[in-house]
Amino acid sequence: MPQTDRPPLATIAIPRLPPPLWGRAGVGGLPSLALMLLLSGPAAADTAAVVADHARPGYAAFDDAVARLADVESCDPEALRPAFQVAYDAWMAVEHLHLGPSEEDGRALSILFWPDPKGLGAKAQTALLKADPASLSLDGMAQQSVAARGLSGLERLLFPTKPLAADPCPLIQVTIDDLARQAAVLSADWGPFGDTLLSAGQAGNTRFLKPEEATQALFTQLATGLEFIADRRIGRPLATFDKPRPDLAEGQASGRALANITLSLKGLRGLAVSLSPDSARTLAAFDHAINLSETLNDPLLDHITDPQAWLKLEILQQAVRATRDAAIAEIGPALGVELGFNSQDGD
Amino acid sequence: MQRRTFLASFAATLAPRLTWADIGAPAFLAAGKRGEDFFLHGLSASGASLFRIALPGRGHAAAAHPVRAEAVAFARRPGTFALVIDCATGETRHRLAPPEGMQFNGHGAYSLDGTLLMTSEVVAETSEGRIGLWDTAHYTRLTDWPSHGIGPHEIKRLPDGRLVVANGGIQTDPVDRTKLNIPDMRPNLTLLAEDGALIDQIELLDLRQNSIRHLALQGDTIAFAMQWEGDPAEPVSQLGLWTPGTAPVLCPPAAAEAFTMQGYAGSIAATADRILITSPKGGALMIFAADGTPVATHLRADLCGASASGGTFTVTDGQGAIWSADVQGLTPLATDETQWDNHLVALT
Repeated sequence: MPQTDRPPLATIAIPRLPPPLWGRAGVGGLPSLALMLLLSGPAAADTAAVVADHARPGYAAFDDAVARLADVESCDPEALRPAFQVAYDAWMAVEHLHLGPSEEDGRALSILFWPDPKGLGAKAQTALLKADPASLSLDGMAQQSVAARGLSGLERLLFPTKPLAADPCPLIQVTIDDLARQAAVLSADWGPFGDTLLSAGQAGNTRFLKPEEATQALFTQLATGLEFIADRRIGRPLATFDKPRPDLAEGQASGRALANITLSLKGLRGLAVSLSPDSARTLAAFDHAINLSETLNDPLLDHITDPQAWLKLEILQQAVRATRDAAIAEIGPALGVELGFNSQDGD
Repeated sequence: MQRRTFLASFAATLAPRLTWADIGAPAFLAAGKRGEDFFLHGLSASGASLFRIALPGRGHAAAAHPVRAEAVAFARRPGTFALVIDCATGETRHRLAPPEGMQFNGHGAYSLDGTLLMTSEVVAETSEGRIGLWDTAHYTRLTDWPSHGIGPHEIKRLPDGRLVVANGGIQTDPVDRTKLNIPDMRPNLTLLAEDGALIDQIELLDLRQNSIRHLALQGDTIAFAMQWEGDPAEPVSQLGLWTPGTAPVLCPPAAAEAFTMQGYAGSIAATADRILITSPKGGALMIFAADGTPVATHLRADLCGASASGGTFTVTDGQGAIWSADVQGLTPLATDETQWDNHLVALT
């Protein structure tokens, strides 16, 4: 059967109503339209689509992936690495959502603590490795430094770059269990938090006082997520032309440096599609950046000590920044929101 | 004489002397933007706008005369205007311009008796700090003092008449605010006598890229809020406490919230036993005990303005909301379509 150009169902865009200034209840992707019919509230279609099609399934997938990692009956790094990689992949799909449950009690930091220029994670973890294994408990991990926990902590145990201070098995197990608990809490808490986004502007919602506040919060995640990729995931290893720092790339030990850039771009593209499916210019900018990243052929970013490779990574950084600019110019006006009045201004 | 004419002339006679109580005792002043227009508002304790006065551009902070219903609204830095506004009539009484080659830097403070206004200023070319002095009888320029640092931002008058200056340390381009000296910046806190003489000064020697910018007073202690210009991946404090005569104390947040404020505190306020800082970049506020122990964090996008009045905190955000804040949480007081600017100034 011949291939068609028909996009998958979830991304079919149906025409949007011109947005009135406030209190928009437009239409968006089909799943969100179905959801809208179930909702009596004034939540904007963009918010409904992000909750239903992006955030909740993304956190559920992360929860599933971490649960499968926890199901591996082994302490052997070789046996754990594949499931670790799948879990890390899943986190890249939602890591940019810095609002709600991920921001409570430092939860997002306890899942991924990067960058860590002072080596806080390794220091705290060495103390845990040297401690009596009997003292390690799931509840005890919740009290430990966020820098020692989560995917970043596991990476140091599963891909050690120098000999570990002690048998890592007990710490590996409790770190995975702690991660699994955090993933389950996140997925569960996005139920009520999603409802809070969807009821923005309704009586009793003291988190989002107007419908557009929820939209603005999600739009802000798109812009800041792209900034994070450009400034940190790319910017830290890129450093300067004269002194590149591939050693500062995220996920160096586990071979994820470039993959994290690609996957986080794809995650943010998913957010953009849910927020504003007709944003052709923004989506084209995403596709350009993703294509550059997928064809960079430098998985550890360690080629960037070569000037040609460094320039290619810099071009990718520019493409990510151009994507942010496109989103601000196109999606912001389409949704009737801007980035923060004070947060963007400084004093 | 017609009754209306009589009333008008009566009002005109009294207008210059009206006090804050005479005009409904607003609790706060706040600048904001609505549509494309900028205003200074007087707000009640419950967040209702009692009056609003048009501003020629984006405002930053205001300073309220201690007695007369009169306020100075400062432009966002680099400031070319400061307007002395009669808050009873909405009229601009005086338009202050900094001397040639100088710029206002967003904040000011009155002397206790209201006869003097002090303004934080920079020499435009170098960002060298000055404190401008104005006679408030007719708002004539008297003189200026060195601020003993680069880029002074907020200034606060202590109850005994001394003045504390947050010299942010950042040299900026006089036109576009580009920061020019981040690797070499040296912020400080400076204490000046009533006559402008230097009394004391501290620097944070290990944290020279933490710009000291905003101030609140708690008894004899000066609480100061900072903005980090170094590596954003380094966890640093946004709050410090300084009791002159002793060493400053830094107040880090709880470890899990080391990055909640994104290295940036936009405003600070203090009650007798609590200190609050806001971060529009982090979308959060933090409340600390008087000894600097963190006690609560609350999330809300674009929070910035913060004030303490009658033992309670009030905060404002760029989405138009005004909130009461305590350790338990944020309670909405009012919301409208005015995007509130950086600072909320208490009148009591």
